[in-house]
Amino acid sequence: MTKIISLFILEAVFCFTFFTVSYSDINLIQTNCKKTPFYDLCVLTLKSDPRSSTADVPGLARIVADSVNAKAIATLNQISALLKSVKDPTLEKALEGCIVSYNTIIQADIPVAIDAIEKNNPKFAVQSATDAGNEAQACENSFAEKASNSPIFSGNKAVHDLSVVLQSIASLLL
Amino acid sequence: MVDTRPFLPVSSHAGSDPTGPSENRRKPMKLQLSIFFVLLTVGFFAALLTSNNGSDNGFVKENEHGSLASPSSEKQLRPVSRGPAVGVSEKSNRLFAKDNENQLAYPWNNSMLSWQRTAFHFQPEKNWMNDPNGPLFYKGWYHFFYQYNPHAAVWGDIVWGHAVSKDLIHWLHLPLAMVADQWYDKNGVWTGSATILPDGKVVMLYTGSTTENVQVQNLAYPADHSDPLLINWVKYSGNPVLVPPPGILDKDFRDPTTAWLTSEGKWRITIGSKINKTGVALVYDTKDFINYELLDGILHAVPGTGMWECVDFFPVSKTEENGLDTSVNGPSVKHVVKASLDDDRHDYYSIGTYHEKNGTWIPDEPKIDVGIGLRYDYGIYYAAKTFYDQNKNRRVLWGWIGESDSEAADMQKGWASVQSIPRTILFDKKTGTHLLQWPVEEIESLRLKSYEFNQVKVQAGSVVPLDVGPATQLDIIAEFEIDNEALEKTTGSNVTFSCSSSGGTVERGALGPFGLLVLADDSLSEQTPVYFYIAKGSDGKLKTFFCNDQSRSSVASDVNKQIYGNLVPVLEGEKLSLRVLVDHSIVESFAQGGRTVITSRVYPTKAIYGAAKLFLFNNATEASVSASLRIWQMNSAFIRPYPNDKESQ
Repeated sequence: MTKIISLFILEAVFCFTFFTVSYSDINLIQTNCKKTPFYDLCVLTLKSDPRSSTADVPGLARIVADSVNAKAIATLNQISALLKSVKDPTLEKALEGCIVSYNTIIQADIPVAIDAIEKNNPKFAVQSATDAGNEAQACENSFAEKASNSPIFSGNKAVHDLSVVLQSIASLLL
Repeated sequence: MVDTRPFLPVSSHAGSDPTGPSENRRKPMKLQLSIFFVLLTVGFFAALLTSNNGSDNGFVKENEHGSLASPSSEKQLRPVSRGPAVGVSEKSNRLFAKDNENQLAYPWNNSMLSWQRTAFHFQPEKNWMNDPNGPLFYKGWYHFFYQYNPHAAVWGDIVWGHAVSKDLIHWLHLPLAMVADQWYDKNGVWTGSATILPDGKVVMLYTGSTTENVQVQNLAYPADHSDPLLINWVKYSGNPVLVPPPGILDKDFRDPTTAWLTSEGKWRITIGSKINKTGVALVYDTKDFINYELLDGILHAVPGTGMWECVDFFPVSKTEENGLDTSVNGPSVKHVVKASLDDDRHDYYSIGTYHEKNGTWIPDEPKIDVGIGLRYDYGIYYAAKTFYDQNKNRRVLWGWIGESDSEAADMQKGWASVQSIPRTILFDKKTGTHLLQWPVEEIESLRLKSYEFNQVKVQAGSVVPLDVGPATQLDIIAEFEIDNEALEKTTGSNVTFSCSSSGGTVERGALGPFGLLVLADDSLSEQTPVYFYIAKGSDGKLKTFFCNDQSRSSVASDVNKQIYGNLVPVLEGEKLSLRVLVDHSIVESFAQGGRTVITSRVYPTKAIYGAAKLFLFNNATEASVSASLRIWQMNSAFIRPYPNDKESQ
């Protein structure tokens, strides 16, 4: 009888541990993403990066920062491609301005955010993330057609929203 | 007969058990297997349930598919100040409502950007600066050190910059004082403070971020005490002298203060930290700045305030109009505790009593305790630090003024941040709760041509230009009198007013807003109002607010457009008084002799160079005001590198 009981306990422990361990990282993601205004985007971004399964909160922030960077690079490439064939001078000016904004995100905002998170001085990460979102916004604002989205709307929105997520998670480190 | 069967547990039905031994052995196996699968299923469903919990609370699901608007939120995205951290709740989740009709996204050209550099505020020749460090007066020179990035116009690679001045205004740049060349400050030579010993020698305590990103405190001292310029510094060979104590995290231990003497003849310092969400100030005693004992208690703590950065602790006289050495104590002395709150990027202070025996401090008014009460400055102002100036027997305050434009612009112009003009600090005897800050008198040496205006009447709803010539470098002293009849006749109301949630100067009240329009162009398409707003309560009591409105300071869309300000106590018989320093992209304004202070960064695109003008305005509906002003053109301070031929090196 004692054999059965001890085996029973062993199995119970095994089953619950197996499931809780593999889902505890999910809980960290969920808990932190709930504190951002873009829950689904946050969860999707984190889950799709294998590092998230063993990351602590600064690690999660790092993943989001990398994601902002990747999206920014992709959008920058889009802008450069559009610039090659642009004819309209107003559009050209807007695209050139966006180049400046995106260069700032990639060369200044994200590196500073990552550095600040690593060095445990998160307020500079919050500040940089805020700026990254603002840069994306400024780019979108610069297109003359106010009634419709710019040709790079989805890139701008992605970078903006992810920057807000980064800002929120970095704020948790304060 | 002997029982030859193997011993088996006795069953309750021992007599009538029909099953044989082999069947008895199979039953437990089946039982275990079924239990195993039950548990497996239960675990599976448990996991499924917990993962579903989250997505039910998801925000803005609709926006995932690219739709512009979230119907619930009313606010559109606004560029957020990079100084005070704006909480997520203030920042919009909505993206790209492009109805900033008159806003330009990329207006910046080199002319506009180079105009932004200040003429008489301290700033390095280029790149990024943040906290003031170790200010002191030594052998005839005021010394100023600061957090500096030698490589870029953004935060990073932090080292100590250094400059000297004879008068706190005309600064000369010196070589970097300390760089990140030791394992204990490899990841940052961060903020610290100087202590002058009775024999005149200087010691510097500063925070280093180690190769493992642990925050530690280090000792440094001048290489040559006979060098008045204190160019070279030596780091103590036994550094670090302090590491995070038990209960304090590696990342929550920074910014040691100037030391003060205890009655036992030891030196005492305080270092800010936090325990969960409670901001605290730890206290250490030392005899040699090398060995320390952590006091059992803490200087003070306030729940919910988060990490206390750049803690400052100093005495003020209740009776005299001068500063006090940090070690002074006595019955006519009050002590100030100040903290920079990491959570909201603002500097808070509180006045109270220091209990020397156990190293604690208690606020006079717990309602305005540290972090929940008064701020040094209601604009963009952080990491402030005072020092006792034994040269002129005053306590002087430095504060870091960051940028509130985009980092793209900072990168383009190649620099970011300035320091405030150093301010004297005095206890405000009249209110007993406030400190008074005032620009050091040496700034008056920059005054050039002056203009005087006496009793200028400004009717309700009008603007009066003030012809003072160029209006980008000014020192303005003004007094306002509001029409008494209107003050009495106006009906009060229960509506609460605050600068930041008001509509700025377009929101007209009976008794305000009125004041000055600085950095305004002729057509007033760009303007920065610095003003008073008087609100009358339903009990007839008047409350005066002092605000800076940035909402129309520039047509550029990527700069901060917030309205800063706070209540300013105005006592019986006092006129409304104002002092404003305008220096290109920085405006420092002082109400009621420095009882309430606001610093803003302003980035106009049109109201620059000769196009910048000054106006009086009164947008109240009922009251007229009359203003008397003295205005000076201000010279440049010609801040530049120390001339090479004179340098001792």
